[in-house]
Amino acid sequence: MKLKSGFILKEMAGECIVVSVDAALDLNGVITLNETAKTIWSCLEKGAEREELIKELLSEYEVDGTEASRAVDAFVSKLKELDFLE
Amino acid sequence: MKKYYKIAGLTVEMDSFGKTAEQAEAYAAPPQDETDIVISSDWQAMKEKAPHLSDEDCQYLASGGSFYLQLINFDGFLIHSSAVVMDGKAYLFTAPCGTGKSTHTSLWLKEFGDRAFILNDDKPALRLTDGRFLVYGTPWSGKTAQNVNTCAPLGGVCLLNRGEKNEIRRISGTKAVFGILSQTVRPKNKEYMEKLLSLLGKLMDDVPIWELYCNMEPEAARVSYNAMSQAVK
Repeated sequence: MKLKSGFILKEMAGECIVVSVDAALDLNGVITLNETAKTIWSCLEKGAEREELIKELLSEYEVDGTEASRAVDAFVSKLKELDFLE
Repeated sequence: MKKYYKIAGLTVEMDSFGKTAEQAEAYAAPPQDETDIVISSDWQAMKEKAPHLSDEDCQYLASGGSFYLQLINFDGFLIHSSAVVMDGKAYLFTAPCGTGKSTHTSLWLKEFGDRAFILNDDKPALRLTDGRFLVYGTPWSGKTAQNVNTCAPLGGVCLLNRGEKNEIRRISGTKAVFGILSQTVRPKNKEYMEKLLSLLGKLMDDVPIWELYCNMEPEAARVSYNAMSQAVK
């Protein structure tokens, strides 16, 4: 899985935000990401599979496997819904 | 005919007519060998997108768009706001069209007289210069011709809302980011967008951001001025 190009992730005013410069996506808003979402997002910019994302969360945060896979699945399904993935 | 201007501290070359040419007159400069910004004279594309507008208005919008887009190359950008200068500091009131930005800054003029003036009523240019943000008047000031060819250091940015009472508070984080990003022009070019976000990030780190709820009484101007001026570094 990989994010489409045309997104910019930026730390600003203590927030982690994402904007799009892809006209086709018609995303004029701003998205804010929490810490876990930011970790998953950063991996997906380069491209990563579900298992890698879960591993990444397990190494970065004090969560168990169930929580990590739940977080990954929820965020990835959100990204699919928004058509953000290639 | 091509003419030269000094706008936001930059040498600008532009071929304009009507309202644009008239408002740019105060920014006229002698011919220069080197230009920072060349404004495209192609306003017909704007006319195709917005056939209900007059040629003059299309040229005004297209030339302004061209200027503000290139401004990013010089650490500059616009915030859709009414910029009022008071005691040498510029205060920006930003909100969607029709909220009452100009109404609020005109209250400052009524309340504070000669101490205050409108620098640009709709599209002031901001530039990061020697580590601080300067606000410039430009010929592009929206429906009104209220702009002055000068600059002032930025004292604060305020998101304006209509309210029953006059209340102001400092904001940060998501609210500030959303408020300001929604009132600037977002380039559809990744490199420009990255630059803009870096500049806005610095703005939010360095300059107080406010949220004002206000009515149309003179007290509204005193409430915003008192809070914002006290926070200026």
